[in-house]
Amino acid sequence: MSQVGTPVPHESAEGHVTGTAAYIDDLPRRERELYVGFVGSPVAAGQLAAIDIKDAAAVDGICCVLTHRDLGGPNHFGPIISDEPFLVADEMAYLGQPVVVVAGGTPDAVAAACRRVKLEYEERQPVLEIDDAVRREEFIGPRRHMTSIGAEDDAAFEAVFTRAKHTVSGRFHCQGQEQFYFETQAALAELGEAGEVRVISSTQNTTETQQVVAEALGVGMHQVVCVCPRMGGAFGGKETQSALTAVMVAMVAKRTGRPARLVLPRGVDMAITGKRHQYRANYRIAFDDAGRIAAAELAFYSNGGAYADLSTSVLERTMLHADNAYHIPLMRVTGQVCRTNLPPNTAFRGFGGPQGMSVIENGIEMIAETLGRDAMEVRRANLYQDGNPDRSVTHYGQIVRDHVLEEIFDQLAESSHYHQRRAEIEQFNRTSPTHARGLAMSPVKFGISFTTKFLNQANALVNVYTDGTVQVSTGGTEMGQGLNTKLQQVVADEFGLPLGSVQMMSTSTEKSNNTSPTAASAGTDLNGAAAVEACRKIKHRMRAFAATLLADRDKGLVASPEHICIAGGMVYDDRDCDPDAKISFGEFCNLARRERIDLGARGFFATPGVDYNRETGRGNPFYYYTTGAAVAEVAVDRLTGELVFDRADLLMDVGKMINPGVDRGQVIGGFMQGVGWVTNEDLRYDNEGRLLSTGPTTYKIPNITDLPREFNVDFIANPMHVKNIRQSKAVGEPPLMLALCVWLAARNAVSYVAQGQPFEMAIPATGEELLMTMSQLGKPATKLSAASGNGAASPSKAGAPAKTP
Amino acid sequence: MRDHIVFYVNGVRRAVDIDAAQQTLSEFLRSSQHPHSERLTGTKIACAEGDCGACTVLVGKPTADGKAIAYQSVDACIAFVFQMDGRHVVSVEGLRASGGLSALQTAMVDGHGSQCGFCTPGFVMALHGLAEEAGTLPTSLDDEEVRIGLSGNLCRCTGYLQILQAATSLRPDAIASMSQLFDESQMLSDFAKLGGEAVVMESSDGKVVAVPRSLSDLIRFRTEMSSARLVAGATDLGVQRNHGLFEPVEVISTCEIPELQTIAVDGDELVVGAAATWQEFDEFICDRLPEYHQILLRFGSPQVRHMGTLAGNLANASPIADSIPFHFVTETVIEVESTRGPRRIPIADFYKGYKQIDLAADEVITRVRTPLPPPDVAVKLYKMSKRRDMDISTVTAAFWLQLDGETVADARVAVGGVGPVVLRLSQAEQSLAGGQFTLDSLQAAGAIARSEVTPISDVRGSAGYRLQLVENLFAKCYYDLSASLSVAVS
Repeated sequence: MSQVGTPVPHESAEGHVTGTAAYIDDLPRRERELYVGFVGSPVAAGQLAAIDIKDAAAVDGICCVLTHRDLGGPNHFGPIISDEPFLVADEMAYLGQPVVVVAGGTPDAVAAACRRVKLEYEERQPVLEIDDAVRREEFIGPRRHMTSIGAEDDAAFEAVFTRAKHTVSGRFHCQGQEQFYFETQAALAELGEAGEVRVISSTQNTTETQQVVAEALGVGMHQVVCVCPRMGGAFGGKETQSALTAVMVAMVAKRTGRPARLVLPRGVDMAITGKRHQYRANYRIAFDDAGRIAAAELAFYSNGGAYADLSTSVLERTMLHADNAYHIPLMRVTGQVCRTNLPPNTAFRGFGGPQGMSVIENGIEMIAETLGRDAMEVRRANLYQDGNPDRSVTHYGQIVRDHVLEEIFDQLAESSHYHQRRAEIEQFNRTSPTHARGLAMSPVKFGISFTTKFLNQANALVNVYTDGTVQVSTGGTEMGQGLNTKLQQVVADEFGLPLGSVQMMSTSTEKSNNTSPTAASAGTDLNGAAAVEACRKIKHRMRAFAATLLADRDKGLVASPEHICIAGGMVYDDRDCDPDAKISFGEFCNLARRERIDLGARGFFATPGVDYNRETGRGNPFYYYTTGAAVAEVAVDRLTGELVFDRADLLMDVGKMINPGVDRGQVIGGFMQGVGWVTNEDLRYDNEGRLLSTGPTTYKIPNITDLPREFNVDFIANPMHVKNIRQSKAVGEPPLMLALCVWLAARNAVSYVAQGQPFEMAIPATGEELLMTMSQLGKPATKLSAASGNGAASPSKAGAPAKTP
Repeated sequence: MRDHIVFYVNGVRRAVDIDAAQQTLSEFLRSSQHPHSERLTGTKIACAEGDCGACTVLVGKPTADGKAIAYQSVDACIAFVFQMDGRHVVSVEGLRASGGLSALQTAMVDGHGSQCGFCTPGFVMALHGLAEEAGTLPTSLDDEEVRIGLSGNLCRCTGYLQILQAATSLRPDAIASMSQLFDESQMLSDFAKLGGEAVVMESSDGKVVAVPRSLSDLIRFRTEMSSARLVAGATDLGVQRNHGLFEPVEVISTCEIPELQTIAVDGDELVVGAAATWQEFDEFICDRLPEYHQILLRFGSPQVRHMGTLAGNLANASPIADSIPFHFVTETVIEVESTRGPRRIPIADFYKGYKQIDLAADEVITRVRTPLPPPDVAVKLYKMSKRRDMDISTVTAAFWLQLDGETVADARVAVGGVGPVVLRLSQAEQSLAGGQFTLDSLQAAGAIARSEVTPISDVRGSAGYRLQLVENLFAKCYYDLSASLSVAVS
């Protein structure tokens, strides 16, 4: 029986519910293990003049106090641009940035020593806001451009706007978001007898951790092993930012020879690690009476924080998703990462995609408001159309093919009773003095693959033992997304074994080298394909051996590997009608070893056909797209701004599901994370660059009571999708962006209050944002500028939509 | 007097001294208490501020008749070990006593109720807590009960739906109860023997933990230990302790005093003992003060309501404490006592400034005496917060309107979160009193109220937002009351 396609439980589920699934802090304490702490920069911007560690080192129980001078190699790292110091040597670039590492026998000793470290520094005025950074031209990387075919000529592009029947324009703001993985950044380092460092890290990126630790210690990569048994959540936050914690414990272990562990307290983790990027975008859109978009110009500015981290790559994905699911004939997209004195912002589920899509989705809502049309109809009219060459090419030149976006829209409109509910809402809003209801449907089209070509590779190690059981190791890391469960199902099917015969092993650089981070929703696509490749190598050898073993001259069966079946726990020749001729898989493996057949293999996979030219802004960065749509209904309290999310209907094309239970969980979980971003998750900083919302008391991720009362999740079949592992599709990130419909529904509710007055609203739609937006509407004196051609774009540099050279 | 505390962990007796007693319960469980004991790392720490519930355990306490143990979910990260004297603590490891997975655990496994798994033991224990409270109900818990029951457990991965579906798929009587898993008779007889003796633990370096078991002991300890901190449910002090703002060097527990655990109606007053938990309070007022009950459902989480107390909330003196505005408009009186005798303080006089209260170093709060609103008084309470449930408020408000037909005979309005202490809005009250109950009059009062408050901008909201809320809540009160009044008329 096939394991693929069944909703088997998460392979660690029993460990989860019994509490025996261990995270870094749960691992047994090692003999002579040290506690590690660090002293961070007390200011967001400044110049470090001197570090005095004498008093700290003298604290009873302290084993070492380390600074940048104790690094074994150059003091910088970074996944794309190597611009971030491990430990501050001169420039202090964000509050809490690690300066001094302290290790000791007790947490109290470490805390006492940290308090005794003296830093001399000159404080500077920090740059915190995007506008500020733009004014000062504090940028990371060059300005990027993507211009669709036909939109190259300035005058012609401008003419489209001049001739257009309607335009909307303005400035869109969206706030960042904290990953809020439950297990904070954590690592444990210990030395092997040859002095090699073994780091057990809560990381999505074992190879990069290995490499960064080697660089920091000044040793070869062969002197470092990085292992990740599992993570208590990551969501992108442990793609690069797990490295600093690992480096700190590795430095201590290397210096002292003793095991060392660091688990960041929640408040520290939230204060010093990067988040989803805050964005500002200037936009203008030209459209006709039907709401059909003729052209769009979008200029994105992201708050990158102090160092590059993944920001340039995140921005690229923003620009690649500025169209969302709409064919926009003429498009000009620009993007610029801004440097500020905040912790370097980083990956978070969606990786810039949500911010990119939010601008066009807000724009469509404005188009609908301008025309007095239903926004769903406007969206439907602008969708990419499968098989229509005039409505299939993106602004970067990739053809969107084999999709069912229109079918998704039509099916969802019907199943959610969209039109009937629209009529009910209009009726309600005409009569209620206290509440306004809103309804929105929005699509998602999310490109699958790393947009950096070389990352689209994976390797896997499959070992079959003489009792017929199998161990599988890949570079993919398990963060709760069910990767290991899916890999277990896929490998079990390859050998025709029950799930229990296949064991997923800890991710380790010892077994899988030069791996990519488990990210971009592509964990199963890449590692699954590599594991299958390994299985097939082994099966090829098995078949050759089995063919000779099972050949039977008396029965007239010549050796024929093509007729060997490895299925149902047995190995047999499918021409042989004698059931007793079948050999159990375990017995067969034992025989194979005796005949010196290699029962282990390494598989490798590289995604075919993906590439993207950053200079021209053209290419085929994505292997395929995952698509879907959602409908949300909300009620907004007109007097308090309180938002109640009443109903959600989700419909997605995720191909043939390897595990429907896991995929359903990814869709619901991703969606609710997105709901948090667009509603209540509100990062607040003070004027000195200090994050004020540093724990769940002040930073409000969705609670179970925030779940809509009615929540329908469904999947649509797409027979055209025949590529990828077992014809599945990636599911990790795409559903997050469906949550934009909740924000759009809130905007829709406010539009009933606005009654035609133009208005702007930011993400997230907190009670404050909603109430203050509605209060502004009540006051004509502070009325926002009209949604005409030059609209609300600010006159500053940030405001002027940039021209493509 | 005893010099140690005695409690059980997963059925195993533990007698511990002051060093362990001053730890949080989660620290105690997660650390190895002696070389051969198991670290119970199933209790996870994700926030250390009693907000996420990953550390949820069950704490069982003998019932009044001493014949059974009643279990409730508690956040182990903000509970102190000294609060566990005479209790049975069940962590997720305790469920092993069922010999495999409990029915709830199986439902979570099969229903994809876990993803990364870090929050999962907390959810499992919170659900077992719900099952304990539901007892032998032959029908499964409904959606609403599970939502409220799990509002103290956060999950970042699952989006909750599969957990909700797993939880509502089971009937509580199909879930093994703690009394089935553990031999409680032995614990009960042990607890009975410990009896009503006070516990006083001292360390050589001057640390003291006192757990009095009578009001006279409490008052005596309070006099003798003038620098000690009184600890009720510790739902805020536990957070402060984890943030390095409070060390339990010298503490007196107020929660083991039988005389202070009572809740009663005395004439037209509600009298609440200082040691009564929010849960006990809620059960008592649920039908008597439905408006208060509605706010309580969103006030803290079940885990917090199982430990926290009304007296603690009032004494903690936060300007955004959810309970205080109601007690301002009802003109509650706080009863305190010391060796010098009792004293009654009107609540308006109790607060002297930001987190400053009128309580002498030798005094303890004994009871909270609240005049119940008469039948012609309509009460509306508001808790405005960023997230609806389990969130600290941005603005709180209480309206107490005595209505004589269409006329407002008397009006009392209190707001929190807009100044250093909760305030009565006297000018707005004056504008309402004697006038008609109309939208215009409420809106006019709201505009006046706006000028009576001086909010600040902070992490929860800007000053401008708070001003707008204060103003608009008057109109909201009008709509809410006119809706409920018209329902009452029809």
